[in-house]
Amino acid sequence: MTRRRAVGRSVLCWLVLAPLIAIVLFPFAVMLSTALKPTPEVLEFPPRWIPRHIDWGSFAAMWQAADFGSAIVNSLAISVGATLLALLVSIPAAYAVSRLAFAAKGLYRRFLLVTQMLSPILLVLGLFRMAAAVPFGDGTLVNTRIVVVVIYAAFNIAFAVWMLSAYFVAIPRDLEEAAWIDGCTRPRAVLSVFLPMAVPAVAVTAMVTFVNGWNEFTVALTMLRSPDKQTITLSVVNLVAGRYSVEWNQVMAATLAATVPVAVLFAWAQRYLVQGLTLGGVK
Amino acid sequence: MVPWLLIGPSLALALVVIVYPFLEILELSLHDVSPFGLVRGFVGLANYARMLEDPVFLGAALRTLEWTALVVGGTVILSLPVAMVLGEDFHGRGLARTIVLLPWSMSLAMAAIVWLWSFNGDYGMVNAVLKEAGLIARPVQWMARGDTAFPVEVGVGILVSVPFTVTIFLGGLASIPGEIYEAARIDGAGRFAQFRWMTLPLLRPFVTIAVVLNMIYVFNSFPIIWVMTQGGPDNSTQILVTYLYMLAFQIGRPGVAAAVSVAMLAIVFAITLVYLRLEEREAA
Repeated sequence: MTRRRAVGRSVLCWLVLAPLIAIVLFPFAVMLSTALKPTPEVLEFPPRWIPRHIDWGSFAAMWQAADFGSAIVNSLAISVGATLLALLVSIPAAYAVSRLAFAAKGLYRRFLLVTQMLSPILLVLGLFRMAAAVPFGDGTLVNTRIVVVVIYAAFNIAFAVWMLSAYFVAIPRDLEEAAWIDGCTRPRAVLSVFLPMAVPAVAVTAMVTFVNGWNEFTVALTMLRSPDKQTITLSVVNLVAGRYSVEWNQVMAATLAATVPVAVLFAWAQRYLVQGLTLGGVK
Repeated sequence: MVPWLLIGPSLALALVVIVYPFLEILELSLHDVSPFGLVRGFVGLANYARMLEDPVFLGAALRTLEWTALVVGGTVILSLPVAMVLGEDFHGRGLARTIVLLPWSMSLAMAAIVWLWSFNGDYGMVNAVLKEAGLIARPVQWMARGDTAFPVEVGVGILVSVPFTVTIFLGGLASIPGEIYEAARIDGAGRFAQFRWMTLPLLRPFVTIAVVLNMIYVFNSFPIIWVMTQGGPDNSTQILVTYLYMLAFQIGRPGVAAAVSVAMLAIVFAITLVYLRLEEREAA
């Protein structure tokens, strides 16, 4: 950048962005403010931003009410499982798409694009019936974490292959070819030369797949019926949905606890993501 | 042979999880299905006929159109200037980008919950802020009526779609070489002329991508409306996906729900085809 960072220009830029930034930060302020209020203060109008008494008790209370501990374990298990499965099938596919020439490549990419356009909600009835048709343990795949892992992985393939291949194209071929000349077999060259260079691409893709799983709602709502299997998103929604009285300070404590770690991860990885999307050219 | 081995597992997984349920839904939509999912006789297009006769379906279809147009339109109009500012070089740009992209990290369902509480008619912060600013005299019961709840949901929809759209536009702006602006300045083009005759035309393919992808995401978007109003009160915020979910899992009409799914899939395929056509034209 050769342009000078004039102070006036910086102020102007922040002023233009100010309304949007205020709206973006508003829910975070509401979460924090409500989470720290004792129950009687939550039900006051007009509400105050700064609580008169800071009360951390909502965090402990929601941990019980939402069974937050096991919800975290479920969310982690499902998101990690889905990420691993998606990477396992997508890395070889992305390698093929970015390195090899084959007749069905165009068709395959189109198929992926079509799957990318479908959201689980449109297929939710069929997904539920599919899960209900497969016997598993004492029952069927309904109300198991495995079926959620498989569905999340499948719906992330298109993005993963596209993101990975966008990065893979940028990894120079020469290094692999040099390894062949040195007597390496092609698979060995992939393992020892290509994959180490692909780590950043894999990390970015893994993060997006993980966050998608962590935040997903529709499939979890449909498949996970018993409280001990529910993900964080689902158990927080269940603190609100269909309740006669809602403990909003607990709910906000729960949304805050579920959101902040992901937001931090996202803030850190955001530039890599933007870079990847730019590399992929989005087309 | 090797390429097939490499793409095989991904293909198999996608086929099982996406194509099989699709065929299942197609079959359900042509049969009489009991509320508990038992498939009875073949009924041809009767489920589709029942769907079209239902006034709730027609209302939901029109509202889906409104929902998609308002959210996508609002998102693109808001994201374009934001991306242009974030593309400038200024103090704290990294921080500003992080904040603008922040809603991306939040689950739609959780965002919906926080906004639901913020718009609470009795104790919500939104009423407090608006009253403080003198914009309203009495607290508004936002979620009690469709004609206030739906605009709130549209607003939340726009807010959560901005980060993705801004990212696409930032990618587009980065692809425009800086020298052409230099040249334009030398030729005496003002800021507005540069925007109107250079930035906007060069960004056009990215605007197209943003519009098409957002159209599909928003058309399919379920959590915001489901969590905030479940399509109510009295179906006044019902869109097709919430109507579909209600039919399938709440009031036990899986046959009609399957018909709605097939109709929506047809629309998504049509949008995808238009997208592929546009993409080909851009490539040519």
